[in-house]
Amino acid sequence: MNAVGYSSPFVPAEWIAAHGLQPHRLRLHPTEKLTRGICPYAGALMDAALSNIPGGRVPLLGTSSAEVAGDARHCLFQAVAHRSAISAHGAECVLDSAPRSDILGVVLTTACDQMRYVAAMLEQRGSRPVFLLNVPSTWQTPAARQLYLDELRRLGRFLVHLGGKEPSDTELANVMLASDRTREENGRRPTARGAREGIPLAILGGPLMETDRDFFELVERAGGRIVLDATEDGERTLPRPFDPTRVGSDPLKELADAYFDGIPDAFRRPNTKLYDWLGRELAARQIRGIILRRYLWCDLWHAELHRLKQWSPTPVLEIDVGPDDTGAPNRVQGRIEAFLEMLK
Amino acid sequence: MNDPPRRITLVEWDQRYAELHAAGLSEPHYGGPLRRHVADGDVRLLKLRMDNSAASLRLWNFLLSEEDRLRRCVADGKKLVGTMKDLGTVPVMAYSFDNLVAFYPDGAWWLPCLLGGGAGLLEIADSLGIDDSFCPVRAMLGAFVGCDRFPIPGLLTCSVGATCDDFSAIAQRLESLGFPILWWEIPHRRPPDPHEEAVELPGGFRAPADQVALVKSELGRVRQALEVYAEQPLSDEQLAEGIARANQVRRLLAELRQLCFTADPCPLPALEMLIAEMLAIHFCSDHNETVRVLAELLEEVRHRVDAHTGVLPVDAVRLFWVNPVADLRVMNLLEDLGGRVCGADNMFCHALDPIPTDLPPLEALARMALADPMVGSAVDRANRICSEIRRFGARGVVISRIPGASHCAMETTIIGDVIRKQMDVPVVEIEVPSVTDAMEPTLRTRLEALIETVRGRM
Repeated sequence: MNAVGYSSPFVPAEWIAAHGLQPHRLRLHPTEKLTRGICPYAGALMDAALSNIPGGRVPLLGTSSAEVAGDARHCLFQAVAHRSAISAHGAECVLDSAPRSDILGVVLTTACDQMRYVAAMLEQRGSRPVFLLNVPSTWQTPAARQLYLDELRRLGRFLVHLGGKEPSDTELANVMLASDRTREENGRRPTARGAREGIPLAILGGPLMETDRDFFELVERAGGRIVLDATEDGERTLPRPFDPTRVGSDPLKELADAYFDGIPDAFRRPNTKLYDWLGRELAARQIRGIILRRYLWCDLWHAELHRLKQWSPTPVLEIDVGPDDTGAPNRVQGRIEAFLEMLK
Repeated sequence: MNDPPRRITLVEWDQRYAELHAAGLSEPHYGGPLRRHVADGDVRLLKLRMDNSAASLRLWNFLLSEEDRLRRCVADGKKLVGTMKDLGTVPVMAYSFDNLVAFYPDGAWWLPCLLGGGAGLLEIADSLGIDDSFCPVRAMLGAFVGCDRFPIPGLLTCSVGATCDDFSAIAQRLESLGFPILWWEIPHRRPPDPHEEAVELPGGFRAPADQVALVKSELGRVRQALEVYAEQPLSDEQLAEGIARANQVRRLLAELRQLCFTADPCPLPALEMLIAEMLAIHFCSDHNETVRVLAELLEEVRHRVDAHTGVLPVDAVRLFWVNPVADLRVMNLLEDLGGRVCGADNMFCHALDPIPTDLPPLEALARMALADPMVGSAVDRANRICSEIRRFGARGVVISRIPGASHCAMETTIIGDVIRKQMDVPVVEIEVPSVTDAMEPTLRTRLEALIETVRGRM
């Protein structure tokens, strides 16, 4: 099945799937081709997209099969499965995420300024078709909500342009309900499901990269366990459960509302909902420490660090990730071990 | 008294001021020798070379007296509106009221330069977790928390959406410290889809009518907040008058730009031209005086052009400048090395374009806000820059990066690529921190290389 790549949780996989295309959450490998000021994640996405020309033999961006093959220990990989495990018919999970070259286009969002410029870069250098989804930073007004809904409609036209089929309300509703069932079956708290012994921790931040699986293992080896994955790949960015009644009456509006209202994030203005959500989850899971993992040059998460430290009832450890720091290099290992030692 | 036009140091300005004064110079109430600003902390003036005209003296004094002006406004019973991340839209609305004064807190990004470091502002930002990996605009946070640079406005607005993450993050930090902010959405401007109703924007961009409608509704929210704050309604007629006054400033600047970027020899230094353009953003807290300052400057420039005199040699290399510099001294450096600025995109071209007057006023402002070169694709911005390069006959381009600005790292590459593809002109990228003294040799080398390259092609 032809696929459409995306990287932001504000791109509803159900909407892509309903168009008969496979939503493909991009899993990136770090790149060395970075200039000063570019976030390693944005740089990795740009490098991957630019190094693979349309129709070329090299896959645009791949995810390893291990990522979604059922390794339920980490929310990092479970959450990806949640989003990609939707077939166009909504009846079964699609767990195929091997490297592929059939990605027809890429959907980026304005939630991150650097991603906005990545889209311009790809436009300028003639990459695959790129769709830039306007995700409003504000959320309090009907106008902001309407903008997001209109943008999903526009995304739909883009998907049709790529070869997708405009879905009926019933088709979209079926995909949404199947998707919700999948999420329920896997548990809406996937992080906790895989938890073992160790000091309960939360990890917070933006998107992760393929090499970051080592990070979770490192935390466990050091005596901790991530019981709340609040990164962009974790449960923080799952949409709220769909309301079956509203799905029946206006599925696209319900889809838009579930994503628009359900995902607390640092970029929203104001971003109070992020702290509200975090406060509830920290208390519910008796979390004893927070790891804020942020990329170098990611201003949105960087600026939250000091505030988070002042606000948090538990200690906060910052892990800043440069171009050479993804995964678990020694520098990160030392900091994690010291943090856990302090929490014991 | 009738010195030929030239750029002079502060020491030379002491003498010049005495001469002008003795000859009967008439000054506004904020006038006086530039030296006094050094005593107030603006020590960077000691490193600058400034235009020697009385008109430029007034421009500098106007710029450097803004903090005093804001305090006087408060004392006179006026209400301050801080219009953050807003290059020229909400100020037009605010100045349509008779009891509001808008100012641009982001302008604090020049304080580390003017104060020759940070004077504690950057240290405050550091202490709040906003370190030097952020844009120099972080000085604004220090200014708010320190409470000693400008009076704290009773209403803060901030555009957000298609804006740089560093500023948005700093503004969010500010709000978390107890400074409430009215956020208004400016969406990423996109090209209209086929068969979608499209609207022509000032400056030549196009946008979907729906996007204009969204911005109009957001500005409607801002208008309501201003009305509540001002305790008076704002009619469309008042708003239209405010737009007409803003256009008056823009017309003056348009002629100033045309003369300064095209006349030979160059009639006004790049430094004064940059400051003059900045007045368009929020009128330096006094619209009427902005008009007077610019009119006097324009008169001086016209006089110089008519007399075929200027501040630079006639063979100065014609360069286009992209992005404002955090250190004003760099504009001097370019001219010291044999260059001159013939066209500039300081990130607010939309604040220089005339605001349409044949539309309902809020619609006109919405179109103007969406014409901001920074809210659309960097390719759009680059295309506009190319047309300005052609218009002003620039032979080379300097793209100046702002350290820590989220948009710069990729945007400058895109702009450079587009210019190289469309124009047969050399391009150089530099990064300009707030104080460049330590890296001046590097900047000098890069600018010299550009100027020599252009000369070699002439």
